Amino acid sequence: MELEKEQAVVNLVKEAFEDAEADVQRARRVRIKIAPNRVFPLVAFLKANGFNHFVTITAVDWIKDGEIELIYHLWSYTRKVHVMVKTRIPRDGGKMPTLKPLFNQAETYERDVHEFFGVYFEGNEKLDRDFILEDWDGPPPMRKDFDTRRFAAEFYGQEDIESDLLKLKIQPYKGKLMQ
Amino acid sequence: MAKERPPKGLKGWAQGRSLWILQFCTGCGAVELPPVMTSRYDMERFGITPMATPRQADLLLITGYLTVKTLKRVIRSYEQMGEPKYVIGFGSCTVNGGMYWDSYNTIKRLDLYLPVDLYIAGCMPRPEAIIEAFNRLIEGIKQGKFNGWIRYKENLRWYKRNQAMIMDIRKWSIDKKLAEEVWREVQEERRKIFEQATVPHVYEYAERISEVG
Ligand code: SF4
Repeated sequence: MELEKEQAVVNLVKEAFEDAEADVQRARRVRIKIAPNRVFPLVAFLKANGFNHFVTITAVDWIKDGEIELIYHLWSYTRKVHVMVKTRIPRDGGKMPTLKPLFNQAETYERDVHEFFGVYFEGNEKLDRDFILEDWDGPPPMRKDFDTRRFAAEFYGQEDIESDLLKLKIQPYKGKLMQ
Repeated sequence: MAKERPPKGLKGWAQGRSLWILQFCTGCGAVELPPVMTSRYDMERFGITPMATPRQADLLLITGYLTVKTLKRVIRSYEQMGEPKYVIGFGSCTVNGGMYWDSYNTIKRLDLYLPVDLYIAGCMPRPEAIIEAFNRLIEGIKQGKFNGWIRYKENLRWYKRNQAMIMDIRKWSIDKKLAEEVWREVQEERRKIFEQATVPHVYEYAERISEVG
């Protein structure tokens, strides 16, 4: 069979976690959906089974469902499979336990997601420190209800570009060019 | 006290012929500078050479988009440079935001925050355009046309106010007293903008994307 190693991971996960929905997306890609409180044991289980590269955490704002989807990416050098662990938490007041005890680098990725999506990770001590956006007072900018165009217009005084160009007083150069 | 004027004549010629640049390699523009420096275009024939620290540099190159976070460091570097000093903005990002015109974290017009002497249009400008700009700068300095740092000093409050609208200038300005004062002034306005940033939004494109799959 073509997708043997991927199917092996799916079976492994399904055996240990009955509540997980796992499927093969394509070659070298496996998706697993699971409830938020089961992410920690699942990632611990994966780590014990060869998935020792914790790649990153990404997030998707599903604004109509009122949920934020967190996606944990893991890679195994022995199995050569990329696993995406997906979970959904409520948009407002949703909390996730930190994965720092398993992978140290999770701390940094969680700070990143916290700043841009406003997700709170319980147990991450550095969460409230400034990371990428220094002294930002507004809402998390990657959430979909953040109107970036309007914000840019108000914050940076950006109006429509054409009239903006006319207002710029750039002096045309009238002297002779040096050769 | 006599009004400060940019150097002219012999002094201007000498100044223009020994520009040391501080390239603040932000954005994409930094990749255009190695060809300008090396043998093909060879900017050193004009006496232009890269310099390590702001205190030794005359010319600040802003090579592309600036995030607010970088702008803080740029302003700090600019204020440390010795006079006379000149600023060149590279690419459309420094003119009007370029392709980042609706981004929440890049500045749109560099000349609101720093006195820009020359802009080079393009995304990204070719080395020929950069050499052309250097030529104009040298020629203009000789005639005493560029006076960015004088404008900056004379309108310091205006520049500081613009800067304070987007960043906490207290940590990044050399004039701490003025920074504190201006910072306090703009608080109310800043708060309003941040408050309004969350508005209900219609995401029609989301549906269109699911239609095309
Ligand atoms: S003007 Fe174009 S090339 Fe230059 S920084 Fe902006 S996007 Fe990049």
